[in-house]
Amino acid sequence: MSSGQAIFTDGPGTAPRRPGLFSRMWKQRADYLYVLPAIIVMLIVIGYPIYYTIDLSFSRTPTTLKLSDKTFVGLQNYVAILTSPNFWKVTWQTLVWTVLSTIFAFGLGLGAALSLHREFAGRAFMRGLLLIPWVISAVAASYVWKWLYHSDFGAIGALMVQIGVTDEPINFIDNTRTSLYALIVVNVWKEFSFAMIMLMAGLQTVPESLLRAAQVDGANAWQRFWHVTWPHLSGVSMVTILLLVVQNFNSFIIPFVMTGGGPAGSTHIWITHIYEIAFQRQNWGAGAAYAVILFILMMILGIFYVRALTRGDATRAGT
Amino acid sequence: MAEVILNQVVKTYGSIYAVNHVSLTVADGEFVALVGPSGCGKTTTLNLIAGLIPMSGGDIYIGDKLVNDLDPKDRDIAMVFQNYALYPNKTVFKNLAFPLQMRKLSKDVIDSKVMAAAKVLDITHLLERKPRELSGGQQQRVALGRALVRDPRAFLMDEPLSNLDAKLRVQMRSELKRFHHELNATVVYVTHDQLEAVTMSDKMAVMDGGYLQQYDTPKNVFDHPRNTFVASFVGSPAMSLFPLEIIGAGTSVSLGSPEGWSFPLNELNSRKANASTGKKVILGARHSTITVHKTAHPGAVPGKVYTVEPTGDVTFAQVFVGDSIVVVSVEPQVMLRLDEPVWLEFDQDRMHLFDGQTQLALNPA
Amino acid sequence: MSSMTHTEQLSVRSRRQIDGWRWTGRIFLAILLIFTVVPIAWMFITSLKTGFAAMQYPPQWWPAAPTLENYTRLLDTRDSVGQDFLRYFFNSMYVSVLTTILAILVAVPAAYAFSRFSFPGRTFLFFAVLMRNMFPAVVFLVPLFILMRVLGLVNTHGSLILTYLTFGLPLAIWLLKGFYDNIPIQLEQAARIDGATRFQAFFFIVMPLSTPGIIATAIYSFIGAWNEYIYAYTFLTRQDQMTLPVGIQRFFSENATDWPGLMAATFMMSVPVVVLFLVLQKYFVRALTEGAVKS
Repeated sequence: MSSGQAIFTDGPGTAPRRPGLFSRMWKQRADYLYVLPAIIVMLIVIGYPIYYTIDLSFSRTPTTLKLSDKTFVGLQNYVAILTSPNFWKVTWQTLVWTVLSTIFAFGLGLGAALSLHREFAGRAFMRGLLLIPWVISAVAASYVWKWLYHSDFGAIGALMVQIGVTDEPINFIDNTRTSLYALIVVNVWKEFSFAMIMLMAGLQTVPESLLRAAQVDGANAWQRFWHVTWPHLSGVSMVTILLLVVQNFNSFIIPFVMTGGGPAGSTHIWITHIYEIAFQRQNWGAGAAYAVILFILMMILGIFYVRALTRGDATRAGT
Repeated sequence: MAEVILNQVVKTYGSIYAVNHVSLTVADGEFVALVGPSGCGKTTTLNLIAGLIPMSGGDIYIGDKLVNDLDPKDRDIAMVFQNYALYPNKTVFKNLAFPLQMRKLSKDVIDSKVMAAAKVLDITHLLERKPRELSGGQQQRVALGRALVRDPRAFLMDEPLSNLDAKLRVQMRSELKRFHHELNATVVYVTHDQLEAVTMSDKMAVMDGGYLQQYDTPKNVFDHPRNTFVASFVGSPAMSLFPLEIIGAGTSVSLGSPEGWSFPLNELNSRKANASTGKKVILGARHSTITVHKTAHPGAVPGKVYTVEPTGDVTFAQVFVGDSIVVVSVEPQVMLRLDEPVWLEFDQDRMHLFDGQTQLALNPA
Repeated sequence: MSSMTHTEQLSVRSRRQIDGWRWTGRIFLAILLIFTVVPIAWMFITSLKTGFAAMQYPPQWWPAAPTLENYTRLLDTRDSVGQDFLRYFFNSMYVSVLTTILAILVAVPAAYAFSRFSFPGRTFLFFAVLMRNMFPAVVFLVPLFILMRVLGLVNTHGSLILTYLTFGLPLAIWLLKGFYDNIPIQLEQAARIDGATRFQAFFFIVMPLSTPGIIATAIYSFIGAWNEYIYAYTFLTRQDQMTLPVGIQRFFSENATDWPGLMAATFMMSVPVVVLFLVLQKYFVRALTEGAVKS
C-alpha cells in the first residue's frame, strides 16, 4: 500500500479492535445457510462412517454385525493384517496397478491432447469418440472386455492367431501371469480420455504468441514443446496425475466384475481385498483396519490434491 | 439529490488499512472526484459509500440519514461500474428496467421512465439489443442510463471512462459534465486519472495509502498542494521536485546543492524555509514557472539537457540538475540540443517549498 | 503454428520437420481411435448375433445373419427378460434423475457461498468437501449400510439417492464454484444497488448466467448415478428395486452367460449417457476444465 512516495499520515493511528471469531461468525451467520445443506449431508454420510470405521477397526465384531456383541481388541486387527503374507502381495499388485495405469493413461491422454490441439475438420467428433469409454459405466466396460478376452471365443485371441502372433488363443485373464496386466489395459482404455480432456484444457492456456516467438527464435517442435508448452501444463498435469492415482488406487469395479480378484488372488488390489475380507469373510475388524490405513494414505495424498486444486484460489470472495 | 458525509471512515483487511480515517463532505449537487494511484483506497471508499462492503469504523450519512447498517438497496444511490456491469443475459431495455422492477413500479411507469432515460442518452434504437452487441461507448451510455432511470440521491461512479478509447473518453468527459450540470446531481467519481479529476470535478479528494491527502477545489489543489505526494500527482507533466539544503538564516536564505551551486530566496520564501524542521527542503516547480537560459544567468542553476520532446505548441525538455530531473518547457522555436548546458531560473512567486522531513508544504514562519 | 504466413517464412528443413510431427500425431490418433472404438464396435456387432453365431471359433467378424432379436426381447413387456430389463431401466432413471435434481439444489447455494463469501471456516469447509473425493466407495459400505438400517432406508431407492448425493456433491460444488468465480462480482453489486437483496441478486442475475455450469453439473451427477455399481449392489437385495448395472449382472449369470444378450443390454445401458454426453459435450468439457485452467 505504501507507494514509497512521501505520504501524508496525520490521521489517528490506533486500530479499531478486531472483532473476535465468534462475533464474526455470528455477524455472518446468514452466509452459513448457503453451505448448511451440503455440510449436513456430508456430515451424516461421511463423518459418521469414518467414526464408525475407526471404531470397528479396534474391535472384534461378530459376523452378524450385531453391534452389542462388539469387543475392544486394541491393535490386534492391525497386527493381523500387517503380518499376513497377503497384505504385501496385494499391496505390490496395487502398486503395479496404480503406477502402470497412471503412466499409460497420462501418456495416452497427453498424446491425444497434443494431437487434437490443432484445429482440423472432425476434431470435436474425434474428441467425442475418444471420450465414450470414460462416459460409459465401468460395469459395461468390464463386460465388453471380458468378452473380448474370452478364452474360447474372444476377439483378441482370435485376432492374434489370424495375424500370426500366436498359434493358440492366449488365455489372458485366467492366467496369473497376465491377468493383472490384461485388466490394466481395460483400466487405461476406460480412463485415458479423462487425462486427455484435462490436458486439452491446459493446452488452451499456452499463449500462442510465446510459441510464435520460440519459432522465430529457431526452436524446433520438440524444443517448443519442452520449453514453452510443458511448463504451462505442469499445473494441470499435477492435478490430473493426482486424480488418476487416487482413482486407480480406489479402483474396484473392473477387477471385481471381470475376475473377482482371481485367479488365485492375482488381480486383487486393496479395495477388492477389503471387500473380500469384510463382506465375503465377514471379518469386519480386519476390513475396517485396512480401511483406516487407507484413510491415512488418502489423507496424505489428499493434502497434495487439495493444494493443487485450490492453488491460486486465494479467497477471491470480496464481500 | 442529497449531500454525502464521511466521518472518520475506516476499512481494514486484517492489519492493513485500506481506508484510514477519511472524513469528507460532498455537498448537495457537487461533483467530487476521488483520485489517486491504484491501491490508494479510492474504490474501497466508494464501495463503502455504496454499502457493498462492511465498514470497520466511522459513519456515513447520505442526506441526513445515517446509512452505516443499510443494505445497498436501501441507500437510494446509483452506481456506474468500470466494466459497466451490464446484465449480459438481459436486453438493454431490461437492464434499464431492472432497478425499477426491483422497486415494484407498475409496468406503465417502468416503460415511460425507461423510454425517457433512453431518449436523453440517445440509445432508443438499442433497446432490444444485448450488451455484448454494443460498442464500448454504447455500453457506457446504457450503464449511465441504468443509473439515471430512477432518481437516486447520489451517483457513484467507479472509473466509468477508463475502458473507452482516448477520443471517446474526452467526448464522454464533456457529456458527463453536462449531465451533472443539468441534473444538478451529487456525484462521487473515482478515477486514477488526475486530468479527469481536474477537468470534471468541483472538488477533488486526493488519496494515497488509504489516507485522504488533500480535499479541495482542483485550482487550490493545483496551486497549493499540501504535500509532495499531491504536488507530484496532480498536473501533467508532473511538478519537478528536488531536495536542497538551506544555507544561512533570517530573511536572506539561499538554497544550495551538493554540487556547490546555490541561489538566494526572496523574503517570503526565506520565511517559509525558516519554518522547516531541519536543514533540508524540497523545491517544487512546475514547467511553466521555470525560465530556460542558454547562458549563465544570476540566480539561475546549471543543468544539462537530457531529452527534448517537441509537441507542436510547446517543447518539453528534461534537464538534469545534479541528480534530479527537472521538466521544463520552451517555445517551439527555441532549439535545445541533447547534452546542451542550460541555466534554469525559478519563478520565486510560484515555486513550492516542502519540508525535507515531513514532506508537508511550508508556510511562512 | 496455425499461421500460414509464418510457416512460409520457415526454412524447408523445419517445414519438413513440422510435417513430420503432424504425421506422427495423425498416426498416433488413428491407433488410439482403433483402440477406443473397436471394443465398442465389437459390443455392438456381438449384440446383432444369435447365441449360436457368437459362440464360434474363429469368430464371425461381421454376423452372417444380423438380427435385432436381442433388442426386441429386451424391450418386450410380455417377455420376462424384457419386463426385468425395463424395470431396471426405469429404476436407474428414477434414481439418477432424483439424485441430479437434489445435487443441484444443494450444490448451487454451497458453491456460490464458497465462491463469494469469506465467512470464518470457509477454507476448511471447502477442503473438507474436496477431501471427500479421496475415499473409495468400498470403505463406506458397512457404516453406510448400518446408517441406512437406522434411517429405515435399506432396500429403498432413498438409500442410493442419499449416497450418490454425497458422491456427486464435492465435484458438483467444485465445478459450480469455478463457474461462479468467473461471473464478475460487479454484476451482483450493480443489482444490489439497483434495489435487489443479496438473494434476489443471486436469483435474478447470477443464476441465469450460471446455467451452462448447472447443466454441466447435472450431466455429471446423472452419469455418476447412472453408472454406480457398488452401493446399488450392496444396498438393494430385492430384484424389483435393482438398477441397471446390478440388474444386468444378476440376470445373465443365472442362465449361463448369453453374450449377445448381455452385449445388447450393455449397449442399451450406455445409450442414454453417451447421447446425453455427446449432445451437451461442450458444457461438460468446459465445466470440468474450468477449475484446472484458471490460475
